[in-house]
Amino acid sequence: MRSLVRAAFSSLRLTLRTRVVSGWMYLNWLVFPLIFAAAGLFVLSTPGGSSSRLVYGVLGGGLIGYWSVAYIDGGNGIQDERWQGTLEQVFATPTPLWVIILGKVAGAILFGLLSFVPTAALGYFGFHAVLPQLDPSRFVISLGVLTFTFFCIAITLTPLFALWRWAFSMVNGFEIAVYVLCGFMFPVAILAPWAQGVAGVLAPTWAVRALYASTMAEGPHDLVAWWLVAVGLSLLYLCGAYFLYALVERRARVSGQLAWA
Amino acid sequence: MSRIASEVAVFARSTYFQYVALFQWASVRGYVAYKILLPVAQMLFFVELGAYATGPENAAYFALGNALQLTANAGIFGVIATVANERHFGTLPILLGSPANRLVTFMSRAVVNVLDGIVTVIIGFAIAIGLFGLDLHHANIPLLALCVVVVSLSTAGLGLMFGSIGLVMRDAIIVANVIYYVMLVLCGVNFPVSRLPGAVQLISYSLPLTRGVEAARQGVAGASFGQVAGLLGGELLVGLAWALAGYALFATLEGWARRGGMQEAY
Repeated sequence: MRSLVRAAFSSLRLTLRTRVVSGWMYLNWLVFPLIFAAAGLFVLSTPGGSSSRLVYGVLGGGLIGYWSVAYIDGGNGIQDERWQGTLEQVFATPTPLWVIILGKVAGAILFGLLSFVPTAALGYFGFHAVLPQLDPSRFVISLGVLTFTFFCIAITLTPLFALWRWAFSMVNGFEIAVYVLCGFMFPVAILAPWAQGVAGVLAPTWAVRALYASTMAEGPHDLVAWWLVAVGLSLLYLCGAYFLYALVERRARVSGQLAWA
Repeated sequence: MSRIASEVAVFARSTYFQYVALFQWASVRGYVAYKILLPVAQMLFFVELGAYATGPENAAYFALGNALQLTANAGIFGVIATVANERHFGTLPILLGSPANRLVTFMSRAVVNVLDGIVTVIIGFAIAIGLFGLDLHHANIPLLALCVVVVSLSTAGLGLMFGSIGLVMRDAIIVANVIYYVMLVLCGVNFPVSRLPGAVQLISYSLPLTRGVEAARQGVAGASFGQVAGLLGGELLVGLAWALAGYALFATLEGWARRGGMQEAY
């Protein structure tokens, strides 16, 4: 067990060190969130609008950056190895693949959390946006649940992207739709009923709902129920991931096709 | 005359080859993902955000702005990738070794992307009309079409400028991402440029799209060509200035890369 933890930690440390020098990572956790937060805050601060809506600009920009890092960087854990020619070495080590991926995704997620720093600064200094109704304990739990949902999605997407290259194009094209369906910058309640149905099967939708509820006094506050739904859906994703990892192992070890899939 | 014909032939061949060789993402799945899913999602996001912030009656304002901004998808991403990929795919030394006219070769990089940009905006308008109720009954349609062409040309000019940087920068597509999304904030796509701080407005008006979006909004309201001629002329000039600056940078970097033997430095 200790050796697995050590391997996962090594994978995390390596991920952090390589990401510090990656321009893409700065784009995702720093530039993207700032741009979307600026666009959101300008639109949400339209004269005559409610100032309480500014929270969607402040946190929304951070959520967008966090999601981008989680699904692109976390989700490409196996693809990275393929592109760098290290896939075979990873499979040849005695450490199970999922342990290495766990460390890589955890490293990406840690970077993703940084996305909230620039957007909070922009909201505060640029638009005087503060969160006066913030409930710190509920906010932290909601952020923890959200992190768990992103973590599970990244773990699930990793074998998917490795098995079918077109899957990344599709998820990448669908990226902004996730902002809409998960309510990153406005409530899901304003969407059409069918879209709300689709949003309901996405775990982050519930965690984001709880996150925003923990910063507002008005509106429903069924946070515990939302946390449970988010965690339950995430665990379902992990069940699907189990079979995908088995398929990856078979492609890599039995048919030897994964490196050129 | 034969020299002009020869340059035209180089231009046409270069355009064709850049399409087949450098438009490599254009598989059916890639096209659906980047040309259908992404534009629809981007418009949906900003229209819903705008409707939430300002009321559903303003949805068309956001739909129009974002439909036009889609041209930057081809003009910025496409052109930057097309120029920068010469380096990435290892064909830059061959290109630099050819005796072909550099200006002709350089400008041909934008042609397919300009056409692609126009197609993208048409898709965007179809979505804006069908899903978000953009009303074109009072619009000056020929003027609107002209705005689309002008905006596609001017954004490609900016793409040529930053594509040149790709000759010496490994991840030029990062620059493409930044430029594309910054335009959402600075070019009057989602809110009037007048709401930006004064110094930032200067940047806005030095970028393509800003005047084009303004002209198109007036065109949708039924303005005549004469009323927006200044805006469209300014838009073209801005695009041309960026393209020429891009060519100058291309020529400078070419000399630099030759002297330092850096054409293949990935």
